[in-house]
Amino acid sequence: MTPQAIIKANGLSKSFFGNPVLQNVSIALEPGRIHALLGENGAGKSTLINLLSGALAPDGGEIEIDGRSHRRLTPSEARRAGIAVVQQELSLTSDLSIAENIGLGAYPRRFGLIDYKALARKAREVCDLVGLEENLSTPVGDLPLGRRQMVEIAKALFRKPRILVLDEPTSSLSAHEAQTLTRLLQRLRAEGTAILYISHRLNEVMRLCEHVTVLKDGKVTADRSLQGVDAAGLVRLMVGRDPGDLFPHWTPSPERQTIVEVTGFSSGLLRDIDLEIKRGEILGLGGLVGQGQEDLLLGLYGALPASARRAVFNNVAGLPSSVSRANALGLAYVPADRKREGLHLIHSIAWNMMLPDFGKARGLSRRDPAAERKLATELADRLSIKGDLTRQVQALSGGNQQKVALAKWMPADPPILLLNDPTRGVDVETKREIYVLLRRFAAQGKAIVLSSSDTPELVHLCDRVAVMREGGIAALLEREKISEEAIVAAAMGAEAAKVAA
Amino acid sequence: MSSMIRTGDDRLYWRVQGERNRGLMGLFAVVAAFLALYAYLFPGLLSVAGVSKFAQSWLPLALVAMAQAILMLTGGISLAIGATVSLGAVIAATTMSGYFGVAGGIVAVSASGLVIGALCGVIAIRLRLPAIIVTLAASFIIGGLALLILPRPGGAIPGWFSDLLAGNTPAALVLVFLVALLWKLYLATPLGLSLYAAGENPVGAYRAGVPVDAARIAAYAISGLLSTLAGLFIAAQTGSGDPVIGQAFTLNSIAAAVLGGVGFLGGRGTMRGAIAGSLLLSVMINVMFFLGFPPVAQYVAQGLIIIGAVALPQLTARFRRRP
Repeated sequence: MTPQAIIKANGLSKSFFGNPVLQNVSIALEPGRIHALLGENGAGKSTLINLLSGALAPDGGEIEIDGRSHRRLTPSEARRAGIAVVQQELSLTSDLSIAENIGLGAYPRRFGLIDYKALARKAREVCDLVGLEENLSTPVGDLPLGRRQMVEIAKALFRKPRILVLDEPTSSLSAHEAQTLTRLLQRLRAEGTAILYISHRLNEVMRLCEHVTVLKDGKVTADRSLQGVDAAGLVRLMVGRDPGDLFPHWTPSPERQTIVEVTGFSSGLLRDIDLEIKRGEILGLGGLVGQGQEDLLLGLYGALPASARRAVFNNVAGLPSSVSRANALGLAYVPADRKREGLHLIHSIAWNMMLPDFGKARGLSRRDPAAERKLATELADRLSIKGDLTRQVQALSGGNQQKVALAKWMPADPPILLLNDPTRGVDVETKREIYVLLRRFAAQGKAIVLSSSDTPELVHLCDRVAVMREGGIAALLEREKISEEAIVAAAMGAEAAKVAA
Repeated sequence: MSSMIRTGDDRLYWRVQGERNRGLMGLFAVVAAFLALYAYLFPGLLSVAGVSKFAQSWLPLALVAMAQAILMLTGGISLAIGATVSLGAVIAATTMSGYFGVAGGIVAVSASGLVIGALCGVIAIRLRLPAIIVTLAASFIIGGLALLILPRPGGAIPGWFSDLLAGNTPAALVLVFLVALLWKLYLATPLGLSLYAAGENPVGAYRAGVPVDAARIAAYAISGLLSTLAGLFIAAQTGSGDPVIGQAFTLNSIAAAVLGGVGFLGGRGTMRGAIAGSLLLSVMINVMFFLGFPPVAQYVAQGLIIIGAVALPQLTARFRRRP
């Protein structure tokens, strides 16, 4: 007989600001099984966890625990039912000790006071499980990131969970710590704990898990046993579409004249790189996260201190020393974190689009509301931003927010666009619209630098791809040499991909 | 699996306490140095009368520093502390010589502090309003209330009670220790310790099952209680109530807490630090007085020292980071 599921979610749906994040998602966790939850960034994994742990209420569907159904699960009900979540972002308090953090919210008491003796005993038990040798009185703020992650796991185990949810637990662990975790999970499985395991490391998933649920754009695309599936099969399940459909047809632009040239460029992580950016091309920046892609964009944009032996921007020698100087040289930058850096969320769409203009206007000059309205409507038309432009930007979906962040630079018609992961968290339809737009810009002779964490995007959209690794350019791939394999190989440091740099 | 209790695990509580002293050694040294300087300038300090008088001048500041620190630990702040001190003073001065006597007065003062604090807390926390605005508004209301109760300085505190608290006895010093002890006891409860988690990482604390809102509202109530008690002590010192006597305490409480290493963003700092900060501020004021600083120079020096105390850790951290 197959074991009964401890927790079952039936047809869960959730939207944020009218933007569906989960649609009709069902999942069942069984005791003694490690269940993998896979999906790309923004597929809805974190939202699903938050629903299962009661941190969010679903818009539709129900959660069934031990056969009892809940329309809305509160965090304390979820805890009582034995659900413990190891969140991706840490929930620890740095001024409290390891033991005090582990017991937080569930302290053993004596006469209303925290029973430190019992706390020490029980905390030591779970610390042994995860291999934490540190003194229990050490403040958590003193620990390196990997150890803190282990404290977080120990904290979840402290409550003796029946259902353990781990959200990318290994992303900050050393190889040794990851091994300890693997052994621990295997033990918990043997003891009958139901485990939901989220990871981007496919071989880990292949090694550890028996069952997989794949989310794609908020929908379940697979819910099956992992038996007989290989890593490539998992990737297909996650991507689930021929990537060709998403991208516009690539045609080379006629104009290929160099517009930016830097040699010996250093900024932030970057050390001594040479780079040429040409009109009419999309230059992709690939590689693992945080290898210097953002430093390159910000350094070129004058937002981060930078130096170069030689630099020419749009026929002017020298690096831009400030953002306004960069704007004057014809550069525009669209940041990755549109909520914090790209947009002013509580202001209207039109207001956001006018912002670069405000920066250029002479101080204390008068605004011209009629002209602003006309311009805003034009921009909205060009980028197909729908609806009332006086709404707050935060009411828009991620994709439309990104279009506003792009639109605001259009009136200045900048010849050089620096884009930092513009399609992160953007729905498929809008992604396609943004791709079409970028290719059109290239055809018009603009130079576009596109940093992206989405490899297919680099492959199908870009004329050249610079793969960054540890603050340098590991490989510069020309159009015919660009492939997912070549980019990943260069990013991981495999030598095969060395092409003329 | 059998878990070995490791050496030190059995004394977890005391080791945790020891860890909390670590960042404060510099402050303790400075306080000790100022105390020594003060004793050198004013040898009279080293007598029962000297200690008593000094402790009496220090106690109100120590209480309000704690009142401010507990809120800053939760990530809040109060601009109503001065007004609450005044209210405590006028309630003490109007009730203690009345029908219910000293005991009734103490109850009235304590209850008003708890209720006012809790009300501020409920408004700020439940309605998710910024603490600085809520307590600014509260400072006007509470200050007005104090003026309504006692439009001009007056009322009376029974002489024996004044003598007991503010006579030639070190009662004030005993009270400081008592309050510090009660704080330790509170911090040893789950609700008390949750303050740190609720201040630094409210979302994480909430997910871990900490009653974040309750912990914060309790902090406001305790803060109100400490403030009105400071007012009661000041009334005992002066023998009467003054509806505006607390004004200077709002900013001084922040100064003392900041000197004591309590952070503005919540979850950072210790109560022993705040008490040491208030002691430092008190001694500093006394030492500058003995050195013959004019009052204006005292204010300027006070300000410079506070800026220095806040900037110093930043500067040393930056210096260390540089290779």
